[in-house]
Amino acid sequence: MFLALDPDEQAISDAAADFLVNEFPLERLHKVPRDISKLEAFAELGWLGLAAPESAGGSGLTIVEEMLFFIQNGRVAGPLEILIQVLAIAAAQSAPAVSESLICGKAGVALLVEQAADRIRLIGNADARYALAVSPRCASLFELNLANCQSVMCLDSSVAMYTGDGTMIRPVLEQAGGAVWQQAQIDVSAMQLGLAERALEMIVGYAKQRQTFGRAIGAYQAVRHPCADMAVRVETARSQLFYAATAFKEGHEDAVMQTDGARLLADRAAKLNTDTNIQLHGGIGVTDEHSAHLLLKRANLLGRLFGTSRQHMASLLDVAGMPREA
Amino acid sequence: MDLRFTEEDLRFRSRARSWLKDNIPKTARPAHGAEAAQFDRDWQRKLYEHGWAGLIWPREFGGLGLSEVQQVIWYEECARAGAPHYINTTYVALMHAGPTIIACGTARQKADHLQRILTGESLWCQGFSEPNAGSDLASLKTSAVVDGDDLVVNGSKTWTTDGQHADFQELLIRTTPGSERHKGLTWVICDMSSPGITVHPIKTMLGDEHVNTTFYDDVRIPLTNVVGDLGGGWKTAMSTLAFERGTGFIGDQLALYERVNQAIRLAGKTRLEDGTLAIHDSNIAGRLALIKADTMAIRAMTLAQISEIQQSGNPGPKGSIMKLMVTGTSKSLSHLVAEILGWEFMEFNGDRTDHPWTYEYLWSWVYTIAGGTSEIQREIIADQLLELPRAR
Repeated sequence: MFLALDPDEQAISDAAADFLVNEFPLERLHKVPRDISKLEAFAELGWLGLAAPESAGGSGLTIVEEMLFFIQNGRVAGPLEILIQVLAIAAAQSAPAVSESLICGKAGVALLVEQAADRIRLIGNADARYALAVSPRCASLFELNLANCQSVMCLDSSVAMYTGDGTMIRPVLEQAGGAVWQQAQIDVSAMQLGLAERALEMIVGYAKQRQTFGRAIGAYQAVRHPCADMAVRVETARSQLFYAATAFKEGHEDAVMQTDGARLLADRAAKLNTDTNIQLHGGIGVTDEHSAHLLLKRANLLGRLFGTSRQHMASLLDVAGMPREA
Repeated sequence: MDLRFTEEDLRFRSRARSWLKDNIPKTARPAHGAEAAQFDRDWQRKLYEHGWAGLIWPREFGGLGLSEVQQVIWYEECARAGAPHYINTTYVALMHAGPTIIACGTARQKADHLQRILTGESLWCQGFSEPNAGSDLASLKTSAVVDGDDLVVNGSKTWTTDGQHADFQELLIRTTPGSERHKGLTWVICDMSSPGITVHPIKTMLGDEHVNTTFYDDVRIPLTNVVGDLGGGWKTAMSTLAFERGTGFIGDQLALYERVNQAIRLAGKTRLEDGTLAIHDSNIAGRLALIKADTMAIRAMTLAQISEIQQSGNPGPKGSIMKLMVTGTSKSLSHLVAEILGWEFMEFNGDRTDHPWTYEYLWSWVYTIAGGTSEIQREIIADQLLELPRAR
């Protein structure tokens, strides 16, 4: 029983932080609002195949290391295409040719976030050849005709969004079961946790500097107590996420419930911390030149991925002896 | 990271489970009064006799020398078996006074007190807060002067939980005349049967009298009862509070999980005024799910904290995060159940056993105020974890 990072895990986390902070600092989004696709570079550095088996060209590590990477990714509102690619690789496990083109970064993937009878909505890679859809029951890969989709502006302007109709996609493969869905919950929770951590650090740094009424605002309980609550939300979400990822890795019976719990708490931490960060900054917090809004907008995007809070609640309320919902 | 228990831990769990199954009391704990204190003593005596007392106390002081992980396992099994709650009249003795005497006491104090604490023979109460010194503990004024081999104490303490049942008190007083704040304080063992002590019960909004104000009128305490240094009481007191904020709440965290599942089952069979099953009300379901997630996270945080203590030897200010989470989640739960229960919630005769949810609801404020208010916990987090500037 050990629920803190061991030296190897710490090393992965530090390496991910080094890479992301140097290549994708949060502030980059003020200069170049949308990340240019760098899938092949990510592949060369090994970030796409962290948890993929070595036989498939991955590093053979686990969901725990993958989670640690995505916490760091969240901290800089990093490239979303890495998340989509990693999940697509997991979905394509049984199709070596497809999997290979994904793991070396040659074929990009967009994520299907809405799929109605007459309309689809995608986010992600601008050169995507495939579209990925993930549900609690299966993960599906489609061939994608992105050229004929319409590009639309996204609230999180670092992310490309497209709409089209059902003729834009054609099924390629389907993996039954909820494994990719669970993996997605852990990865998204990790990114949400990263955002929540970054928001806390941003306001704590400012609260030590900014003076009002003759003292630093961090000395006022109206500021320091909400900061303390932000720290509580971060620690809560982190502990649960570490537990859930480890339970998932070890194949625990309650891994789904643990993962759903982690998702609810990470979503809450990201939503409230990115909000409080802006509020406590005061006027500067609503300006475009400040980075606070970048965190808020990314949290809004991530909070919509892979299910609603209603779906994440169900496993937690499924206690022995409960009536089934009509 | 690794969630697997060792073979030894698993054996410990099965031994604890089977012992608890056969030995938990057949009758419920009396709600209050001397009968409740006697019930607690008897249970502690039984734990001692069967080798379950002082789980993480060192063996040389009569403890079992178990790991923190095994302590978690024990509390999990107690919650599962419905064993008597460990926050009772033995709490201050076992969780405050004992560990403080182990850390700072003399050989004589250890010999006189530790075994009697483990067997349930002596009950303790706390004497820290005063009518004019609560959150600001360092402003306390109850004082003593040295007279021969004794300290002579005058003043008053308040919120003395179970003071009417206690044999001894951990008493924090000002022993250096004219000293201020954290300096000049002394932590001393006070025999509650000493002449000059008067205990006045305070009736709380729960309807019972578990707290008191204690008055000291020329109370003589031998200098040999000083724990730590004369004038060094703040250091001794902080070792007590660090223990409580570190790992002292583990049992609550785990018992809370059982209560959350009870509440979910309750919501699955209780109809709201409009006939909807409570669990099908999206507002109630959403709040219950978050409370459950928080409760799961509290367990994860407990395990993470134990792991960090293994790594660095120190729980650090995260104990304050734990206290905020445990007491805040507990409050949210009892307030939500108050809504689910409707008019049934209003039936209350003051008895914890008859009306547990109404009692928990009223108790929730005791929880978020006692042992350092939620506001003080946020101050500690802001000072020590976030290192924000201070106005104090």
